[in-house]
Amino acid sequence: MAGITPLFDAIWDDYMFWSLVVGAISFGWLYHHSYFYRSEEGESPNIDKIEVGVFPKEYDNLKLEVTWTVIPFILIVWLTYISWAPLDAVWSQTGPDGYHGSECENGESSNNYIDPSGYVRSDCYHDIGIEGQQWFWEFDCYDLVDELCSIDYAAVEGELKPHLMLKAGETYLATMTSIDVTHAVKNPDFGMMEDIVPGQVTYLWMPAVGETSFLMLCAEYCGDNHAYMIAQITVE
Amino acid sequence: MSKNSAPRKIALVAMLAMAVLVVPTVTSLPGGMGGADIQRAGCTCHGTLPSSSVEASISGLPDSYNVSETYNVTVSFSGGPSTDGNMNLGGFNLWASDGTFATLDDSAQLWEQNTNEVAHTESGNDQRTWFLQWTAPESGVNVDFILHVNSVNGNQGNGGSGGDMWNRADVTVLGFGDPPLPEVDPFKVLATLVVISGVMLSIVVMYIFYRKNPDSFDWENFAPWISEWLTSTDHKKIGTLYFVQGLFFLGVGGIMALMIRMQLAVPGNDFISQDYYNQFFTLHGTTMIFLAAMPLIAGFANWIVPLQIGAPDLAFPRLNAMSFWLQPVAALLIFTGVFSGQGADTGWTGYAPYVVTETTHSGVSMWAAGQLMLVASSTLTGINFLTTMAVMRAPGMGWFQMPLFTWSILVANLMLFLSIPAFGVGLIQVYLDRTIGTAFYDVAAGGDPLLWSHLFWYFGHPEVYVVIVPAFGVISEVIATSARRSIFGYKSMVYAMAGIGLVSFIVYGHHMFTSGMSPTLRFVTMLTTMLVAVPTGIKIFNWLKTMHGGSLVYRTHTLWTLGFLVTFTLGGISGMFFPSMALDVHLHETYFVVAHFHYVLVGGTVFGFFAAIYYWYPKMTGRMLDERLGVLHFLTAFISYNALFWPMHRLGVVGMIRRTHTYYITTDDFNALPEWAADWNMLISISAFLFFASNLIMVYNMIKTLVRGEKAPADPWGGWSFEWMTTSPPPTPSFDPHNLPELKDANEHVANEPGVFGQMFRRLMVEDDTTEGGSH
Amino acid sequence: MSADYHDHDHPSPWGPHDWGHGAPHNSWSPLVMSIGIGIFLMTFGGLFTFSEFDMWYLPLVIVGIAVIGAGLFVWWRQDMSFDGTYEPMSAGVPFKNIQIRKVGMWVFLMSEMMIFSSLFSTYMRYRQGIPRCDTVFNRGLFDPVTNPDGWQDGVAVTCFEPASHLIASSWWHIAPGAINTFALIISSFTIVQALRWAHKPVGSVDEEVRRKRVYRYLGATTILASLFLTLKMIEWFIGFHVPAIDLIGLHEHEIHSLYSEGYLINNDHYQHHDYVDEATGAHMVANIQVSATLFYVTTGTHGLHVLVGIIGLAYLTFKAWTGAYNPQSAVSIEYFGLYWHFVDLVWVLVFPFFYLY
Repeated sequence: MAGITPLFDAIWDDYMFWSLVVGAISFGWLYHHSYFYRSEEGESPNIDKIEVGVFPKEYDNLKLEVTWTVIPFILIVWLTYISWAPLDAVWSQTGPDGYHGSECENGESSNNYIDPSGYVRSDCYHDIGIEGQQWFWEFDCYDLVDELCSIDYAAVEGELKPHLMLKAGETYLATMTSIDVTHAVKNPDFGMMEDIVPGQVTYLWMPAVGETSFLMLCAEYCGDNHAYMIAQITVE
Repeated sequence: MSKNSAPRKIALVAMLAMAVLVVPTVTSLPGGMGGADIQRAGCTCHGTLPSSSVEASISGLPDSYNVSETYNVTVSFSGGPSTDGNMNLGGFNLWASDGTFATLDDSAQLWEQNTNEVAHTESGNDQRTWFLQWTAPESGVNVDFILHVNSVNGNQGNGGSGGDMWNRADVTVLGFGDPPLPEVDPFKVLATLVVISGVMLSIVVMYIFYRKNPDSFDWENFAPWISEWLTSTDHKKIGTLYFVQGLFFLGVGGIMALMIRMQLAVPGNDFISQDYYNQFFTLHGTTMIFLAAMPLIAGFANWIVPLQIGAPDLAFPRLNAMSFWLQPVAALLIFTGVFSGQGADTGWTGYAPYVVTETTHSGVSMWAAGQLMLVASSTLTGINFLTTMAVMRAPGMGWFQMPLFTWSILVANLMLFLSIPAFGVGLIQVYLDRTIGTAFYDVAAGGDPLLWSHLFWYFGHPEVYVVIVPAFGVISEVIATSARRSIFGYKSMVYAMAGIGLVSFIVYGHHMFTSGMSPTLRFVTMLTTMLVAVPTGIKIFNWLKTMHGGSLVYRTHTLWTLGFLVTFTLGGISGMFFPSMALDVHLHETYFVVAHFHYVLVGGTVFGFFAAIYYWYPKMTGRMLDERLGVLHFLTAFISYNALFWPMHRLGVVGMIRRTHTYYITTDDFNALPEWAADWNMLISISAFLFFASNLIMVYNMIKTLVRGEKAPADPWGGWSFEWMTTSPPPTPSFDPHNLPELKDANEHVANEPGVFGQMFRRLMVEDDTTEGGSH
Repeated sequence: MSADYHDHDHPSPWGPHDWGHGAPHNSWSPLVMSIGIGIFLMTFGGLFTFSEFDMWYLPLVIVGIAVIGAGLFVWWRQDMSFDGTYEPMSAGVPFKNIQIRKVGMWVFLMSEMMIFSSLFSTYMRYRQGIPRCDTVFNRGLFDPVTNPDGWQDGVAVTCFEPASHLIASSWWHIAPGAINTFALIISSFTIVQALRWAHKPVGSVDEEVRRKRVYRYLGATTILASLFLTLKMIEWFIGFHVPAIDLIGLHEHEIHSLYSEGYLINNDHYQHHDYVDEATGAHMVANIQVSATLFYVTTGTHGLHVLVGIIGLAYLTFKAWTGAYNPQSAVSIEYFGLYWHFVDLVWVLVFPFFYLY
């Protein structure tokens, strides 16, 4: 599965590998037993001497049971381990300890890049604002210059929708608020989404690494025109 | 329905589905402008682009109209390439959402005999102004007018005249006097289908009554028979009632799912509007979880648990009747909105604060009230079953000699019982917010929307395990009986179920990964959610090991069990993608989620209960089901089911989000879903129809065999538990209370004495020594 | 479908299923009660829609309550038809020889506990998350986002106003709540006394004395429970008058009800006499909807449990008056007592959280 973000693809591939291993074991086992241990026509042997009203003889093997408790447990510990590190990258904190540094000074550039493990790293980030409302988005570039962030409208299937233009190589931190109900910003190409809860402020990283163009969607059901609550984002 | 004709009928249904789904195409004819979707897609007038230099105007319309009055309307335009002296100056198309047009001269015509659409004629395209009459509708609805005008640059024919320009104008005329009529068309469809199903259900009931004794088919005999059903407190009768209710609403929820799939078959479809779509997916979720899955489980629990533990009935038979009768009344409340066009449109999760805003439909209050009754019903069921299993096990049956289905019901009820009060309190808060105006979720007053999410998912996550764990019980019974073996690792099966029950309470945070939780909590929930895989894995491996060295008898219920193992394992594997944050932030709220939970809920719960139906139907009715029809049902349903849900995984990964009535396919202007996504959606929709149709085979099978099926012996499959000891169907009371059966044990067990917890509970209860035990 | 079973030894006018006592009777009551609950919830939603009142639904709401009452009556009437001495007993471990209904009662209380836990969770969430009004106004700790310059004329500040700020402001204000606490504790004692007298072995006590003691103790419990609800109504809606008693230095004054103090779920412009802007002398106003909502709904849910208790007690008292209780049937009082102790315990938590703190 290619093409969401390098981080997503890397973890996805790991998960797919282990899924295939688990699937191969389970299904191989299932198909073998359901074929090999089928009963012949008309044959119905009573292997464990099952009798109505008698609790059947117990059939167990502690070693086996412990095996398939411990091995899946080790597997999930491993999966948790590889999913753990991205936690900091996905919801990176701001400041020198984070992945995206502090807010850019005037004229400074993020110079973001993807490091070998798939995380996006930047020197600094730019603040932008997103406000959700039934049923449209409103962007705010604050005091960023037009080259970094500009807003106009674009026709999407005949209807005008907000259009946010960002610059490739820059990292943005969206400060998100909602004035009525819960919405969610979903940026398919950045591989990220976050809810916007009224009465709260939430944040979402938008690392614009390469040039792309996509539709930003509302991913939390918010009423009648939920499907039409879209905006176009272009990174150039 | 024979084996040969069934696929033909299914193909017919699919073709019908295809026919309905054909996209309407735009037509453009000489001497007029029009087309079925000119209002939506814009004018195709001479294939040119809209231009703001053309000004369309419409005069003569009032701001608000009087009912049935006739108005003289003038349509005109200025600007564009149209110049005086040319032969062809321009054209127009005027569409109104209501009312009727009449022409005054031969310069205009009704478009394709639609009285609400009018266009110029061939002789009318030499002018820039047209005169018309419009008669207002009889009701007071607001009327939208959409005018397209075309400014033509001369006598150059109709096609490809590059300089032509067109523009559009929108006018809305307010209606007053009568209140606007609600638009209920899709609901009429649903309501009609529900009523037809209800009528069919009553006919089936009457037919069954008739077949019981054809000579006594009159009211004098029917009244006591039906009142016996309405007042019965017998666990078997109530189980049957649950069962009928569950299957009925499985059908209703299925019909709603079909409407959803019709809408999504092609992008930008307008089969149903977003307003209806939202109500359909809300009610689909609520119906399937609360009115179909839960009653089916309760039905089997009612029927089988007392039989398996050797009890004459449940501990509180009348409370049991109460649990049941709350459900159909609650269903009526939940569906009240549907019949007035104001059904709940919040999603089954009903996220605050949307659920308490006035932009929702008024049916949301009734939806909350109905679910409140279901909460009461589940609480009573929980009390009843927990007590029954604690106190009414037959002599010789300790906790660790209970059949696994009974264990699964115990675990499920314990989970449900401890989690559902939180949901009930949340619903009371929503209901009060919407009625007397309390401020639990009023954001302006300081209300916190996340509180609802916490209360809901504290219940909601155990709830999905409540629905799946009884299916585990069924599979454990069926696979052991079919393989002619005792279940592998009985105790680890019980501990695994108990483990799932415990873990279920601490994992719900993964539903809220993207709602601003703290990173620490995110990590904790990630770990606990991953943990669910361990007990589930134990169960799957134990089932597989049970088959080892067995002799698998291929009955229909065996097929469903193997089908369950396949689909549930797949659903379990896809579930492992969600706890991983970096994957979840992309997959959250996409069709990947939809695919996952349908794989575990349909492939798990529903397949499990199909197995249960084929397994216990002979016990419940005394008739064997038709095996050939059963196999046909399994094959068609299993294939169409996978074609239905498997593609959804891929759609989710490429970013198709749930709960939207339409979706965007990449065009030249913007990037969205890839183009193949539209074809895949069509495939999914067709498979949905096939899946629905294939399940009708089972219904037919059940009715057919009930009337003229082969008589069933007491123990048709060779199980060991008490239910196979009584006759099929069992007598009432199921076991003689003065002469209860006693469970023997093939293993050497110590005598049953209460353990540490048992002793503790005993002391808590204060044994009463002055009362004589037993009956007198 | 199944063979009908008639137990001819124990004919019952209520249905054919009276196999051995305690076995199911056929009953219309579940169906009737369910329909009643449905009518009630539906018409109540019409009576109030987003706090707008529509009086035309009132008769229908009453019809709903009447139907529920009819269902309940049928239920009880069927119970009274049996002699009250049979009690189904548990068969297996670990509850052998413990009454089934007692186990059921404990299980029921478990779910009740979860209901009140959820309500208290809601309370704790808001109590923690919203700053207290007196901290905001009296110490000037305004939220820098919503009120950066402090209080502005006419703009309500969202803050938490605990009911205790009114109730615990004087001894007289808290008197109804305090008396209620004692009333409930005493009623827990009286119901145990009723059980004790009903439980005394046959022969050790005169049956007439037993009858009188049991119904008097149960009656006392009923009266105490009614006192609880009465005082609550006074505290919420009516208020009371304190006369002048010179002897103890008491001067005449009115104690206002919470209603007349404006402590209401829809009050987004609440004024308290403490909250005065020192610069202008104007009253500072608060949006207290959430705090009032929590107070009324949580204590109201408890009050509803007391109301259900009163209905149950009325039935028990009537049954005791007919002399129905003896050592064998005394367990019914015990089951009710379990519920009643639970209601009492909840109050012991509600009182400090909502009246004192």
